[in-house]
Order: sequence, then C-alpha cells, then structure tokens
Amino acid sequence: MYATTYHKPMSLSEAIELFEGSEDASYLSGGHTLIPTLKSRLAAPQHLIDVRNIPELASSIEVTANKVIIGSATRHHIVASSKEIQAVVPALSGLAGSIGDVQVRHMGTIGGSTANNDPAADYPSAVLSLDATVHTDRREIPAEEYFQGLYTTALEPGEILVRIEFNIPEIAGYAKFRNPASRYSMAAAFVSKHRDGHIRVAITGAGNEGVFRWTEAEERLTESLTAEALEGLTIDPSRMMGDMHAPTDYRAHLVAVMTRRAVQNLGGTHIL
Amino acid sequence: MNSPLKTAAPGAIVHPLKQPKSASAELSPEMKLVQEALFKHVGKPIPRKEDGRLITGKGRFSDDFSLPGQTYAAIVRSPYPHARINGVDKTEALASEGVLLVLTGEDILADGIKDVPHNPVPSTNFDMKLRAKDGSHAFTGPHFLLPADKARHVGEAVAIVVAETAAQAADGAEKVMVDWEELPFVTDTAKAAAPGAPTIWDEVPDNVFIDTTFGDIEGTNRAFEAADHVVKGDFHIHRVTGVTMEPRASLGSYDPETKRYTLYAGSGGAVRQKNELSKVLGIEPKDLRVLSFDVGGNFGTRNRVYVEFGLVLWASRKIGRPVKFTATRSESFLTDYQGRDLVVKAELALNKDGKFLALRSDNLSNVGGRAVSLSPLSKGSGLITGSYDIPFAVLRARAVFSNTMCTQAYRSSGRPEVTFVIERMCELAADQLGFDKLELRRMNLVPPSSMPYTNAVGSVYDSGEYEKNMDRALEISEWNMFDARKAEAATRGKILGRGFANYVESSIGTPKERAEIEIKEDGNIEVIIGTQPSGQGHETSFAQVVADMIQVPVEKVWIVIGDTDIVSVGGGSHSGRSMRHAGTVMAMASADLLAEGRKRAAELFGSTPDQIEFEGAVFKLKNSNQTIDIFELGRRTRASHGKLRVIRDNEMHTPVFPNGAAVCEVEVDRDTGHVQIVRYTTIDDVGRCINPLIVHGQTHGGIAQGVGQAMWELCAIDPNSGQPLAGSLMDYGMPRSDTMPTFNCEIAEVFSPTNPLGIKAGGEGGTTPALATVVNAVVDALSEFGVKDIQMPVTPATVWRAMNNGRKAS
Repeated sequence: MYATTYHKPMSLSEAIELFEGSEDASYLSGGHTLIPTLKSRLAAPQHLIDVRNIPELASSIEVTANKVIIGSATRHHIVASSKEIQAVVPALSGLAGSIGDVQVRHMGTIGGSTANNDPAADYPSAVLSLDATVHTDRREIPAEEYFQGLYTTALEPGEILVRIEFNIPEIAGYAKFRNPASRYSMAAAFVSKHRDGHIRVAITGAGNEGVFRWTEAEERLTESLTAEALEGLTIDPSRMMGDMHAPTDYRAHLVAVMTRRAVQNLGGTHIL
Repeated sequence: MNSPLKTAAPGAIVHPLKQPKSASAELSPEMKLVQEALFKHVGKPIPRKEDGRLITGKGRFSDDFSLPGQTYAAIVRSPYPHARINGVDKTEALASEGVLLVLTGEDILADGIKDVPHNPVPSTNFDMKLRAKDGSHAFTGPHFLLPADKARHVGEAVAIVVAETAAQAADGAEKVMVDWEELPFVTDTAKAAAPGAPTIWDEVPDNVFIDTTFGDIEGTNRAFEAADHVVKGDFHIHRVTGVTMEPRASLGSYDPETKRYTLYAGSGGAVRQKNELSKVLGIEPKDLRVLSFDVGGNFGTRNRVYVEFGLVLWASRKIGRPVKFTATRSESFLTDYQGRDLVVKAELALNKDGKFLALRSDNLSNVGGRAVSLSPLSKGSGLITGSYDIPFAVLRARAVFSNTMCTQAYRSSGRPEVTFVIERMCELAADQLGFDKLELRRMNLVPPSSMPYTNAVGSVYDSGEYEKNMDRALEISEWNMFDARKAEAATRGKILGRGFANYVESSIGTPKERAEIEIKEDGNIEVIIGTQPSGQGHETSFAQVVADMIQVPVEKVWIVIGDTDIVSVGGGSHSGRSMRHAGTVMAMASADLLAEGRKRAAELFGSTPDQIEFEGAVFKLKNSNQTIDIFELGRRTRASHGKLRVIRDNEMHTPVFPNGAAVCEVEVDRDTGHVQIVRYTTIDDVGRCINPLIVHGQTHGGIAQGVGQAMWELCAIDPNSGQPLAGSLMDYGMPRSDTMPTFNCEIAEVFSPTNPLGIKAGGEGGTTPALATVVNAVVDALSEFGVKDIQMPVTPATVWRAMNNGRKAS
C-alpha cells in the first residue's frame, strides 16, 4: 500500500468538501474492493474519505407499503438478516446473504457495491431488476440510467450514494452460479414480477458491459412466468465476459440456466 | 534393487503379523519393555496439546518475532518469464526515503555468496537413480540467492531492498531499474522438452537434464508382443501450489561480536536450513542458529531453502541490523515452491483374461527454472505399477527445465501422480476391453502372500493386505447400493457417479534422526527431536510415545523442536517420515534411558541391574520393597552420575509402503456441469497408528488437498505472455468446508516389519488416491455422454465442455 491520508467526516457536506479540496481522493465504505486494490499497489489515492459515519448514509432499513429503502452504509449481513426485508422481498435478503463469506458480509456495504459496479457483484442485479432509485447527495437516479458499463455509473466525481429505494415486487427470485475460486457471480439472474405486472430480468457476473437487462427473456416471461417459457432462448456469447474459469459460450449457457432457475425459485434464491 | 528385507536373510523374512515373536527375539530387555509398554498404550485419540496455544493466538510463527533495530526487506522480482539482466541501476532506489541497502546478483558474485546446495537428486539406497541421458550426474542449475545473468521465471528475485520500514522498502523496490532484455520463453511441460524449445540453461540446450530408463526392456518388449491387448493413455497431472496459511517469512540477524548469524524462519526442518544456508554464506554450521517454531502449513513447500532466508542473513551482515522479510500472498502464489506438473504417456499390456503383463511409462517432470528437488519424479518412478502385480515394466523418467517457478515435493510427492496414471489406466482398460473395473483390479492386486513384494522397477513393498482394503472400502461406501442412490439423484436433475482407486505409496525420507531424552529435576521429561511439525501434532503424538515408554502421564513429557542450538541433528518433516523415524529413535533412546536408570538403581540398592524391575515409572528391587521413581532417581544420582539423560542416533534407509483404497461419489448438475462430492470413503493402512484422532485429521486434510487439485486448483499460465493467471485466491480455487462431504475414514493396521514400532505413515494416504477417485467418479457420471477421460481440474466449465463434446459426438 502506498502512503495515503485517512479522513473520517461526520456529515455529507464535510465529506464533499474534503473530496473537492483534495487532489486525488477516493471515498471508502466497506473497503472490500478498494482495500485489496490498495494493498496490491494497483491504486494510490492520496486521500481516503470514509463515509460510513455520515448519518444520512448510516446503516438503516425502512420498509413502506411499496418500497424498501436501505442506507448506503448498511452492511450485507444487516440486509440478509432483516426480518422486514425477508417478509417482502426474500430474494433481496437472500442475495445479500449469498455475498462472499461471513467476514465480507460484516464489512461490505450495499452502497459500496452499487457505487463500484463490479461486473461480478450481486447488488447491481437487484437494483436493476427491482427498478430501484439511487439517491445521492444531490439527485435521484433511476436504475436504468445509473449503470453505465464495467465499474462505471452515472455518479459524478465527488457525488455520494446516500440510499437506495427498491420497489417491492409481486414476486422475485435470484439464482447465482459462483466462480469456484472467488465465489463472485460467474452468471446470476435476478427476475422480478412487479405489482403492475411488468417483468424485469437483470443479469450480473456475465456481461462484458456489466449488469444488463435481458429483454428477450423479459418478453418471454411476460407471456408466461415459467421456466418453460424460456426454453430454447439463448444469449449471444459475444456479449459475455470470458476468462480461465468460464469461456464466453459457457457463460452464455449459464445465463440461460440461471434465468430459468431464478424463475423456478421465485420467492427465494438458488445458489450453486 | 536390493532391500534388506530380501537380502539380509532371504528365507527368514516372515510377515511380522504371522510370527510376531521372531521380530523381537534379539531385543534388549529394555527395548522389550518399551515395546510392550508402547503397544499396550498407544492408539488412544488424545486431543492435541498444542491446540490451546495455537487457537488463542499464542503461536510463535516467523513473523511474530522482532528484534531491536530491525529493518525490513522487499524483493524486486522479474516481470518476465525469461529475460537477461543487462544491468541494474540502484541510484534512485538508494535515494528513496528510508532505504538503507540494495543488493543484486552482481553483489552476490562480488561477495562470494554461494549457490544453495539443494542436492535435488534423491540419494538414499532406495531412491531411483536419476541421471542425465549419457549416464552422468545431471546439471541441475545453480540457485544463487539472486541471479546475475538472467531471470528464468516470472517472480524470480533479482534484487533485495532494505529500508527502515516495510512500506519504504516496497517503495524503494519499485525504484530499482533493471535493464531487461526479453528472451524467448517456454512454460508448458511437453513443449519445454520438444525440439526447438527456447534454452533455459546453456549447459542443457534441449532443457531435458534427466533422462533415465529403468526396468527390463527386453522382457517388457516380449510381454507386449505376446499381449492380447494394449491400452494407451496420455495424462498431465497439472501444477498446483501449497497455499500455506502463513506466508513464508524470515528474520535474519548478524552479531559482529560473536560473528554468528541467527535466522527465524519457519520451515520443514531447521537443521537442513542451517546446514545449507551456512554453505551459502561460506561459514561453519555452528555459526548459524536457525529457529523454527510454529509453522502455518508446509505440504512440502517449505522443505527447501528459500532465497529470502539467505538474503536477510547476508543483508543483516552488510548493514549491521536485523532484517525481516515477510512474503505477501501474491509473492506466495508466484514464488512458493510449487508441486506436481508431470506429463505421462503410458501403455498397459494385458492378456485376454485381463491379467496385466507389462507396463511402459514415459514420465516427464517440469522442475521449473532450476532443479530444487527431483523427489516428485523419483518417488513416482518406483511406484508406476501401483498396487498391481505387473511382471514387467519400463519407465523412462525425464526432467525438464522451463520458465516457471521451481517445483518441489508436494503433499505425497510423486505418488498421487503415478497412482492417477495406473488407476486411470485400469478404468480405460476395463472400458475398452469390457472388463468389470473392480474385478480387473482385483485379479491383478499384489497378494499378501507375495509380501515382501519386489515390483517390476525394483521397489520392495514391505507389507499390506490390498484386497482386504479394497473389500472394506467397497463395503463401507455402500458400493452395492449405488443404483438406488443414482435413481434418487436423477429425480433432482443430478447425475451420480462413483470412482474407486487403490493406492500404495512409499515413505523414505532423510535417513538420520536423533533423540535426546532427559529426566528433569522439576518432574518433567524433555525430549529433543529434529522433526518439524506444521500442524501434524508432534507435541502430542511424540509425547504420547515417550510417556507410554517411560510410563508417565503424557502431560509430563515436553517435546523441544526447532532451535538448532538445541536440536543438532534431524531430518525435518517430509515424506511421511516423522512418526516412523522419531518414534523409532525415541523408542531406542527410551530403552537406553531405562538401561541407565536400571544401572543407577542397582547401584543405589547395592544390587545388579538384572535384579531391577521397572513399572509405572518406578524402579524396584526384585523380591523387596525397595523402590525409587525415575524422577527421584534422577535427582539422587545427579551429583554422582550427572543428569539422567541419553542421546541416541539412528539411521533407517528402508522404505515403508503405506497403502489403501478410496471411493468417491459425485453429483453432477446436468444443466451446468457443477460437481458436488457427496460421499468420500477411505481405508488407510498406516502401519501402527499412534493417535487415531491425529491420523484421521491428517487424512481429512490430505483428502481435501487431493480433491482440491482434482477439482479446482491450477497454477495457470498464459501461454502467450508466460504470466501466471492465478496470482491470488480470486483465481486459484481452493477446497472449502462446504464443498467437502463428511469423510468416512477407517484405519487398517498392518505392522511394517522394517522398524521396531511397525509404523508406516499417515496423512499423505488421503491425498494419494484422491486425484484418481474424483476423476474416475466424474468420468463415470459423464459416461452417458460418451466421456472416456477428462483433464483435471474438473471445473464446471471443463465438465460442461466434456458433456457438450459428448453430446455432439453422439
């Protein structure tokens, strides 16, 4: 790790002031991507601004009639063990409970994961599939506009993700095939049927542009929300990432299988 | 090859189980006593003495040590697989804040620092004799702490930077400017040995520095000509690494007053480190003290000298302050000594009834940039025929340099590789020729009546009941009820497959061991021994042995290890040698101690030693009520006779052959190719078992390590760039508790006639058959897709590809 200066602001304005007043700064939340990157000397911000103590971001879960609202510094295990979320979107709490391992779930945060937009992260699929709204220190961003490719989001430099507002669906399911080494998603599908009847299928871990909506699957499932409706539907391997663990054709295959399994496991999760 | 079992008294060799008394006929009265005591009491599952210390953070690992005035080292490593060093510019690094010293390969030569005397060619009487093609001793590639000529693999150390802090050292290392000239490289095992491959060492233009053929060539040829069937197979037992929980670390200190060096460095044996590093530094062994206490995992990776161990000592002398180096996880992945990497071409000749007639095997071992150890090739060479009676065999054993990290003996060195080959060959033969795969094995097994059995390449199997192991493994794995389980799995979309393998392995290891036992005045017994545990529980099992022999509670016995100022001789821990070597020498030392005690007690009672009885740690004059306990005797005779203390040396060359059988059952997810192991069963003949709790624990770890290689682990290298692709746990897949089933393990005890305690070895037997059982099970599951063979690791992508290719072909 290179030398860096650690800051612990206690308010949003202080955090933004620090960011704007610093030459080369980075926000820090649970640190589960940033800290390993720093340790292997692949990144070298001069200033680390820890946002976890800002009251607006602090660990919080609010469930209303139509929404689940989660503060961005809320750690995965809090979401996973929330009885309120389990009651209304078990696929969301199940997704949180499937991230990494116990240690990761007690440090990693929903805001950190969503702001980082790792193509293999779990949360982006829920944000996109549940038509969530991302609230920042300065505006609201619909999920459709928020994700903009690998590690890229609509967040402007210095903009802080404050909370995420999920729509409570009629039903949703999450299916994930894990990388045998890292246990990140190698292909995962979050399928939601919203209360107005529309279907959202979000795929993470597989696409070469990060999380994406699989609209062909949505069309099929709109006709019939069954695994059978997806029979024969394939996705173009050229849209997939490829690596030593999963070449593009295998990932494309897994996307189709995981989408079927998400449908077969609506109201819960299926983790392989 | 000669074995004392065969040559000492050919007619008189009898299995010790059949004539137990003949084995102890010539024993001293004390040795008899010791044996009787031991055989009465060992075998208890005593919980480990060391666990309390280790799980409460009181372990003493290498990085836990710090010395006043300590500095920190960082290593500059080669970013290229093969590159000439045209020069190194230290200027910017030396100007970097806190940097005290920068040393390179040129400085090594200028200071007369020698290469590491790895002695890679195994040399006991029973190791296979590996030579260069012309029969000469092979060129193995000098291993200097830092090379002056060129780097031969990615990650090779080319300079050391010492600074006031670890961060300053790392900053300084980035500022060392190496003038690199990239050279053509080769990393793949077969390609490195192919004509026209880039040359790693000018001394060996074709990279193949070992090429030895063993066995009866004419006899084998005749058997192949007469055979009804010949089955062929090509295999690559791929490269893996140890992934020890504790990264390697070292702290070196030089004292200009005494001109002595001290090294804190966890390893597989401090004595070896002392002897080899003193040669590197050009000093007497007595001028180097090596301390190795708790070690967080070894599996072979720590048995050889690491360059950083020598570098911190040398650097400490240069700057007059202690120097510490602790590897990062990335450095561990790049430069821990790695394991396996053997390419095999095999041919098996059979007659029409399925009797094995002859075997040909061409084994090519990838040693990396230089030869650190040929143990994997050598160990495997003696066992190519496995558990089977194959009258003729020819083995061509070759070793090749490549632009990869050096390989070393790794968990059951060489044996899982050849076991994989022979057990896969059994499956291929059964499938191609229409035999039942179990019956084919059964009819070819070495029977107990043939023990001691000399195999076709000269190894003498000491003892074992192979068919009994096989029967028991099949029974407790419920092999016969498989069909019902398969039908049930099918209802869940899973394909059940089962794999079986027999195994026999050899345990040789460094032949010398010394034990020192002292009856302390405080009522404890101190045992000094030169093995080095890294989780094997020696502090418990060794204490158990001595406690039983001296007949005191186990709590009174303390094992002292890992400080070369105390432990002067010792072979370390590898090749399953520790319990056998240490157990034997401790038994001998205990017998000596009791003899000395008897003598002293006799003097005290005014009698003769033959009138002294010993029981429950108490010496007693026969037909009297005069008694004295061993601690009191020590105290009372200290002034007149000195400490009640013995030193015993022992040397044992004869190998033992642990053996057994294993069964693996897997569920393959039809849609994704995901493999889940659902059952795993083993029978291991470890000879006499001292502590079954520890042996089972060792076996479980061994299974996980073998399964890990078969299913996930792979030191992948990008063929285009020569860069390692699995440089962290993000890409190097490891076994995890939730990917392992509950193990069903049983111990079989067929005592070895080669040592007084009848010990063979435990733990590695978990690993040895695991590669074969997993692959056999996966291939069995995929048989409906026409899959006959599959390359390890059997990752989901590999399995899916095999299913698909099968689907297309059919």
